[in-house]
Amino acid sequence: MTVTEERPTAEQQGTFIRPDGKEKVTGLGRYTADVNLTGQAHAAFRFADHPHARITRIDTSAARAIPGVYAVVTHEDVPENLYGGMVQDRLLFAKDTVRWEGDVVAGVAARTQAIAREAAAAIVVEYDVLPALPDFVANAQPGAPLVHPEWTAYDADDDLSREGNVVGHSTILKGDVDAAMETADVVVTSRFVADASQGAPIEPRAILAQWTGDRVTVWTSTQVPFAARDGVAHTLGIPQSHVRVIVPLLGGGFGSKCDFHFEAHVAALAEAAGRPVKLVFSRREEFLAPDHRREGMVLEFETGATKDGHLVARRATLHLDKGAYTGEGGFFAQMAAMHACGPYELDNVAVRAMLTYSTNQPSSSIRAPTAPQTCWALEQHMDQVAAAVGLDPVELRRRTLIRQGSHGPTGQVFDEIGMLDTLEAAVEMIGYGQELPDDEAIGVACGWWPSMASPSGAYVKLNGDGTGTIVTGAQECGTGAVMALPILAAEQLGMRPDDFSILYQDTDAGPWDMGASGSQTTFNNGRAVVAAAQEVRAQLLQMAAEKLEIDPADLELVDGTVRAVGAPSTSVTIAELAGTGTPLLGKGSGDLPENPPTDIPSACVGRLGLDSFLAPQLITHAARVKVDRETGVVRVLAFAAAHDSGVIVNKIGADGQVYGGVMMGIGQALSEATYFDEEGRQRNPGLLDYKLQTASDGPRIDVRWIEVDTPNAGPKGSKGVGEPPSVPTSGAVGNAIAQVVGRHVTQLPMTAERVWTTIQDVQEEAK
Amino acid sequence: MSIDITLTVNGVSHPLAVDPHASLLHTVRDQVGLTGSKEGCDDSECGACMMLIDGRPVNACSYLAVQADGAEVTTVEGLADGNDLTPLQRAFLEKGGVQCGFCTPGMLISATALLRDHPRPTEDQIRIALSGNLCRCTGYDGIVAAVAAAAEQG
Repeated sequence: MTVTEERPTAEQQGTFIRPDGKEKVTGLGRYTADVNLTGQAHAAFRFADHPHARITRIDTSAARAIPGVYAVVTHEDVPENLYGGMVQDRLLFAKDTVRWEGDVVAGVAARTQAIAREAAAAIVVEYDVLPALPDFVANAQPGAPLVHPEWTAYDADDDLSREGNVVGHSTILKGDVDAAMETADVVVTSRFVADASQGAPIEPRAILAQWTGDRVTVWTSTQVPFAARDGVAHTLGIPQSHVRVIVPLLGGGFGSKCDFHFEAHVAALAEAAGRPVKLVFSRREEFLAPDHRREGMVLEFETGATKDGHLVARRATLHLDKGAYTGEGGFFAQMAAMHACGPYELDNVAVRAMLTYSTNQPSSSIRAPTAPQTCWALEQHMDQVAAAVGLDPVELRRRTLIRQGSHGPTGQVFDEIGMLDTLEAAVEMIGYGQELPDDEAIGVACGWWPSMASPSGAYVKLNGDGTGTIVTGAQECGTGAVMALPILAAEQLGMRPDDFSILYQDTDAGPWDMGASGSQTTFNNGRAVVAAAQEVRAQLLQMAAEKLEIDPADLELVDGTVRAVGAPSTSVTIAELAGTGTPLLGKGSGDLPENPPTDIPSACVGRLGLDSFLAPQLITHAARVKVDRETGVVRVLAFAAAHDSGVIVNKIGADGQVYGGVMMGIGQALSEATYFDEEGRQRNPGLLDYKLQTASDGPRIDVRWIEVDTPNAGPKGSKGVGEPPSVPTSGAVGNAIAQVVGRHVTQLPMTAERVWTTIQDVQEEAK
Repeated sequence: MSIDITLTVNGVSHPLAVDPHASLLHTVRDQVGLTGSKEGCDDSECGACMMLIDGRPVNACSYLAVQADGAEVTTVEGLADGNDLTPLQRAFLEKGGVQCGFCTPGMLISATALLRDHPRPTEDQIRIALSGNLCRCTGYDGIVAAVAAAAEQG
């Protein structure tokens, strides 16, 4: 018995229209800020007045006295339940200490947003100011003052280290680096610094909470509705069944709306106010308040290579700025260590990465956390190695990239992968080697990113007219991943994608899913939808077999009917079977792929399960840039992106991820940085000074998919898609700039000022 | 103090009393009840709030409601003819010009104004015309393709 699909799906015809498309282009769709409830109050927060200080007094009486104020909430009004991902290090409302400028000291609910803001400012907070600790490299030194002096008492994941301010310490130790370095023809050392950057979704977050009795419903712009629900339950000390999270349309996230953020603050305000309360962030708050930004890093590399282009050894030391709280980002040291190795064959490795507390804004997952900066540094370092051994940078990569059968840096043995194919495709698309004006050049960079296996759930049910509904816990953040789930269900059931409606997001309805993070929706929830649809298929086949008096093995599902193989006129429609009233309902999660084994020794610390890359997504980017030597201004003229993300399920959606990811990567390469003052206050929390790329900045982007049908992966041999498009982008741009300038720019972003300064340095030394 | 004005939004007149400092965006969202136009920055940086005022695209977050007294205001809700999408709206969907959709209302308003003034725009004209509208999802590629495709269809 096979399921056949004789008609091309809409997706195969290249015209897949996302089911939420019409409401988005007509303006009728509702995002969280568009939802209002009768009697709702408006929320505002009082944030910390100093990046690091001890609170000595909080007096809310003046704020409470302002007409129109319904409630003021501080730490005294909620349980003292610490929360956080791998370390429970944070309270909803600061009690004794504030550790960054976005720490929330109090919240206000009032009749209007203006009154709420006025009241928040009227709260009296007195402090003993402490020295700010913004230097995460200094904070990692033994004896440095502690951001969390009491943190050994916190609950935390056992695999994390607790050394001073170092939250996460990960090493990859393999072979004998000292001995191998002796055999190298050249040893190249490099040091790079990457500034922090932001997810910067165009929708500032919004949250609306309403209590009915002792249960609360929260409408929120989150990427991770179940984490939001669990966070509310944990911090307010109520059962998960008393918290219902609904996500209206979500206006982008890019990681910044991952994790539990402000849902419980607003729920606490709504309870205190006795009415619904709505919080909508200003753009400034969207920069300052989320405990989510891309981490600043300091990266040092040392690579030994032979003249024939063999990498004999790699040392690296990486410092990552965790900021004030851990959130979900405790795994970053290990992830960065893997990216310091990169998708290369390396027999001797000594990489050490430290994720360290500071009194800066917390860093957590932003699209491919740690990878763009680490890859930018490593890939520029690789070009320096190529120059040192006298090889073309592409040729060095050709000789050293992982391929089928390779042992990766942690001993993972790779199945069939398209790494080298992405390299060849990208250099062909960009026209590598062509004659260019002397102010233009082409740079190439390679990178990788794991697919994340996670449990995930979905239901598929059929309606009486033969249409269907997918009820999923997966969250749509704009990528189209949830929108494409009907393609997978339809294939199993011989139906059309547009036969299905999709119910998301309501945590009381859908089964658990980890959310729109980790490029995992199609990979995991797609598998769940296939499994759920297969249950429905089995039910349909059994019903049809009884009705047609034919063995189920001789039946197939085609064109909305169940019919006899070879005798299509012997058939019954799905509508007829579903219309009998018998519930046709499937549930599924599918079998979880296991991470590949490694052979790295137990001496490695900080192993959190990311030391091998399941179904690795492999990428080569190539950029052609033009550098204005007078001003340092860089323009990307053309861009080629070649990706192995396995088999592509929804091409228009996958292409869109690359276009958007590359543009985000170009922004990170050239213009996007959060700049802190000496105390760790953001200096540019607005879109005028934090520069996103615009339509007129961007190049045309050519995309090619190297479709390797990948076993032990997602549905149809797919891998993840969403995060890799930002990984090697800035490395490719950096290598192109260096070709023109004659030296690599060692600080990210490579702003006009930094490029110009590098040009000056080169000219000075030439004199 | 409030001021009496008449806002004509998508062809419907609304007599309103507004605060003198009320923005057109907040007035249309909160008083007229059309929430298609979005607030992304409240500072003319992102373009998500764009509306046409007498055919001219403006950032409604930075435009006072009283300035629009008597004017014809068009929001994203006013583009389609009932249930029928415009060629531009259809092209946005077919070319991958929509992901999260938060910038889409402003993009459609900018692009509508462009196509009225330049029915056959070059790619550079499209990119420059849309450079006041930030999009974080699409890399602009699908949006630029959609505007070009809509222009092709006339």
